[in-house]
This record gives sequence, structure tokens and C-alpha cells, in this order.
Amino acid sequence: MGIINRGTIHLTVFALIVLTFPFWFEYTGGYAGLDTKIIIWAIFALGFDLLLITGYLSFGHAAFFGISAYATGLMLLHYSSNIIEAMIVGVVVSTIAAVIIGFLTLRRTGIYFSVLTLAFGEMFHTAAVSIFSGLTGGENGLTGLPTPTLFGEKMQGSNVFYLCAIFLIIGFYLARRITRSPFGLMLKSLKSNQTRLEYIGINVQFYKNSAFVLSSIYAAVAGSLMVIYEPYVATEFLEWKTSGTLVIMSVMGGVGTLFGPMIGAAFMLYFENVASVFLEEQWLLALGIMFMAIVVYLPGGFVDGYKRMMRHWVKKNQA
Amino acid sequence: MVNQIFLQIVTGLQLGAIYVLIALGLTLIFGTLGVVNFTHGALFMLGAFSAVIISGNYGFVAAIIIVPPFLFFFGVLMERFIVRFFYDRPHTDQILVTFGFAIVIQETLKWIFGSNNIPFKMPAWGRGILKLHEYVPFLDGFVAYPKWRFILITVSFFTVIALFALLQFTRFGMVIRAGMNDSEILSFLGINITRRFTLVFGLGSMIAGLAGVFAGPVTNVDPGLGMFYLVPSFLVVVIGGMGSLPGAVLASFLLGMAQSFTVSFAGLQAIVVYIVAVVVLLFMPRGLLGKKGVLD
Repeated sequence: MGIINRGTIHLTVFALIVLTFPFWFEYTGGYAGLDTKIIIWAIFALGFDLLLITGYLSFGHAAFFGISAYATGLMLLHYSSNIIEAMIVGVVVSTIAAVIIGFLTLRRTGIYFSVLTLAFGEMFHTAAVSIFSGLTGGENGLTGLPTPTLFGEKMQGSNVFYLCAIFLIIGFYLARRITRSPFGLMLKSLKSNQTRLEYIGINVQFYKNSAFVLSSIYAAVAGSLMVIYEPYVATEFLEWKTSGTLVIMSVMGGVGTLFGPMIGAAFMLYFENVASVFLEEQWLLALGIMFMAIVVYLPGGFVDGYKRMMRHWVKKNQA
Repeated sequence: MVNQIFLQIVTGLQLGAIYVLIALGLTLIFGTLGVVNFTHGALFMLGAFSAVIISGNYGFVAAIIIVPPFLFFFGVLMERFIVRFFYDRPHTDQILVTFGFAIVIQETLKWIFGSNNIPFKMPAWGRGILKLHEYVPFLDGFVAYPKWRFILITVSFFTVIALFALLQFTRFGMVIRAGMNDSEILSFLGINITRRFTLVFGLGSMIAGLAGVFAGPVTNVDPGLGMFYLVPSFLVVVIGGMGSLPGAVLASFLLGMAQSFTVSFAGLQAIVVYIVAVVVLLFMPRGLLGKKGVLD
């Protein structure tokens, strides 16, 4: 097949959709800036999917998003407005936290993991508004950040969009490579039977931790980009609500499909903006009901729904 | 000095009493049905909201009489129409659906009552302070403590006793304990375990409702309440050992004491529960009283 195989076609189409996103997004009722936010959340959700394929459901990924956001914000505020150092520090600090939290939470079953990640995620939120409030600005969040720059260029408007878009395309390429490699197969097999994997001599702990750290690197990149997009760090970034939002969008989109969580992210942010016009504060209630319906009737999310519809359609045409 | 330590112990007991009331239902449902109920905080919140409304209109005694049965009924319906379909599905799906339901309850309450704190008026018999130095000989001078907090400790104490008695000395409790071990064998013996599971879920939910009634006056009653208490109660359940009732009681008071004795260090008090959790998990990954072989 050479260079033109399914992988490159997928990637090219994906890159084209992402890069042209701002041009057609306006016509669908979105406002300028929402597109960048969608891209950032898509990075976050894409990385989360690398963890979800192992069957481990984290309720604490806000921690890595938020830690990276705070680190980036503090670098911009106290060191320089150049984003390269800020992003590197953000991602490194957050990854260190992920290694520690992963070690503590991944030692037992998935149930423990969900409960503990929620708890430790809240630990960072509580710490940020209590003992570290001198550093983080407490409940007000980190304000007064300078406009971030890259090589002297101000990072605003479409500059930020393309920066995020490049990260998403690279992230998607890597995630695709990872899930299709032997390493990725190992991650997927964690979901079915870990005891069996251990008996054939596989270091299960290593793979679990790798998936966790990998997904938190994506979360860290997303958190860092969020601060570059909007130079302000909100305490909400660390709250369970951020983790919950991530879980909801991933599950609604379709776990383990890479595309699904990104579609879920786009859907949720779009729904928040469109539905809140006529549902006002109750859009979250509507979303909660929708989420429950999907968990009950369509555990594979939107992607699974699409596949089922196609199958149904093909069958009908053949008859 | 003695006075201060004594008061801190009482505060620790009082904090632990709230945690116990919430964590009991959580760990009971987990131990019996194997379901991690992310809705449990929301059930507690529903209890507090119904208590504040009922006691505002008909008095506090009416709230004590109505709210726990209401939550029992609510829990039974929730098990019958949502949770039951998830016993055979992966644990992650159970977590997702209960998490979704928690959001639905939370947002519904926010829709009806707004997101502001609803002031909870204590009944006349619960107001005021208790002069402790009149009862405890080794205290010197004047030592007083809010009466309500002792009521909370008492309620919690009797709830724990009643639940243990129910599980240890009745036929129902025996079946439940057997069901915790092996529900399949139990159904082969011709015992309708499904119906008992429903009742256990209702029971757990009822205890959460009771917690809402008695903890309501000493906490904020707003739609953030459920999640605010869910996280420490999860920690209680994990530290105690998942599914272990004595463990939950022990861990509740451990956390309550830890919070009470760090009161002079404001920042530390906020995160001390997490520090305790980290230390316990590092040295005893199963929790204090967790059994070997359960969920490894």
C-alpha cells in the first residue's frame, strides 16, 4: 500500500476537519473561541480514552489538568510570558503527580481506583484553596496573568486555535499509534483478565501505570493550553466537576474508540451553549438524564449508535 | 489543657458521627450488593432537603418520622428500576449510572430550591448548650458544648448498634450476611435474595436519610452537600476496608479525630483526611479491617 493506507487517510481527513474547524463552525451556531475550547477538551478526552481502554475509570483527572494549569499560570506570572517553558513545567509537574497518584490508586481493583481517584482529585482541589492559597490565589483562582507569547508573537485568537489544533493532531496520531501497537493491545487486554496476564508473566502493574501516566500527560497538555487560551486559572479546573465532565463526554461519545470521546467533548460544549439558551440552568439536568439513558441503553455511546444505525441501514437495503 | 483535649475528642466524635451515618449505608450496599453507590451522597442530600422542608412546615418530629421511610422507599425504587439492571454489568457501568443519577438528583434539587443554603432551624429541645463541667468530674471551670452535637452522636451510636443487631441476631441479617459471601448458593437454597437485596438498598438509603435529618442543622443545606460528604465517606469506606461495617465505624472516628485535633492548623485540617488515607493505603492497601481475598 505504501504511503497511502487507511491510517494516513484517517489522519489526513482528521487533520483537515480540525484545521478548517473555525471556518465552518460559525455556521453551526457556535461563537468564536468555543472552537478552541472544544479542541482543548478533545485533547483531554482523547488522552482519557487511553486509560479507559484498560477498563479503569478515573474520577480524578481534573487533578492533572488543574495542576498543569496552575503550574503554567504560575510560570507565566512569575517567570516569563513565553509559553514553551510554561508548558514544559506544567506537563512535567503534572506527570510527577500522576506517577505518585497512580502508584497509590492502581494497586487494587477498578472499584478502588474510581473511588480513590475521586478522593485524591479532591485532595488537590482542597489543598489549592487551603494550604496553598497564598500561591494559587485561593477561591479566586490565579488572576492577572500576562498575555502568553510564543517567539514574541502574542498568543491570542486564531494563533491559540492553531497551536491547540497542532497538539490535537499530533496527539491523535500518537494515540492511534499507541492503540494499534503491541503495547496498546496489552492495555486493552487488561480489561478482560488481569490474573491470566499475570500468570503468563506480564507485569500488569507496569501497563496500568503507563496508561494512567500517558492519559495524564494529555490532561496536562490540555490544562496548560487552557491557560494559554484564557490567561486565568479557575479553581474549578481542579474540582470533581471537571473530572465528571470528562467522564460524561467520554462515555457519551463512546469509550475506547478515540474518535468517540472527542465527539463527546464537542457535543457537550456545543450542547452547553445551545441548550442553555432555552433550558437555562437546567441544561445540566437534561444532560444528566441523557447520560443515564446512554449508560443504560447504549453503553458504546454515539459511535456505537452510529455503527448500529449503519448496520441496520445496510441490512434494510439488502432486503 | 484537659478541657481542650476533652472538647477536641467530643468534636472528633461528632464529626465521626456524621461520617458513620453516611458511610454505613455506603459500605452496607457495597458489601452486600457489590455496587459502589455514587448516588449515596445525593441520597443524604435528599434526606437533608426533605427534612428542612418538612420540619419547616410540620415540625422536626414530623421530619424524623417521615424522612427515613421516604428515603427507604426512594432507595427501593432506585434499586428496582435502575441498579438491578446493572448487577451483571461491569463495575464501571454501575459507577457511571449511579454517578449520572447523582447528577440528576443534584440538578433537580438545584432547579426546585436554587443553589443557596436553606437555613435549617433546630427544634427547641435541641438548641442551646450542655454544661459539661456539671457532668464530668475532671473538667475544671466552665466547659460547654452545643447540645445538638450530642444528639447527633447519640443517634449515630444507636444506629450503629441497631444495624449490627439486625445483621447479627435476626434471620434477615443472617441471610444478608450469607448473601455477602455467596449469593448464588443462597438462591439455590430457595431463598429469594433479590428481594432482600432490594431491602438492603432501601435500608442503606434510609440510614443516609436519617443522616440528612440529624446532620442537616449543623451543615449547609445546598445542592453541593451531596458531593461534599461523598468524598470523605468514600475515604472512610476505603480506609476501613471496603464492605466492612466495623471498619467503617473505626475509620469514621479516626478521620473525625484527625480533623478535630488539627483544628489549630487551618490548612492542615482541610487535607488531613487525605493524609491519613495515604498513610493507611501505603501500609495496609486493604484498609484497616479489610478481608483478604475480597476484591483483590
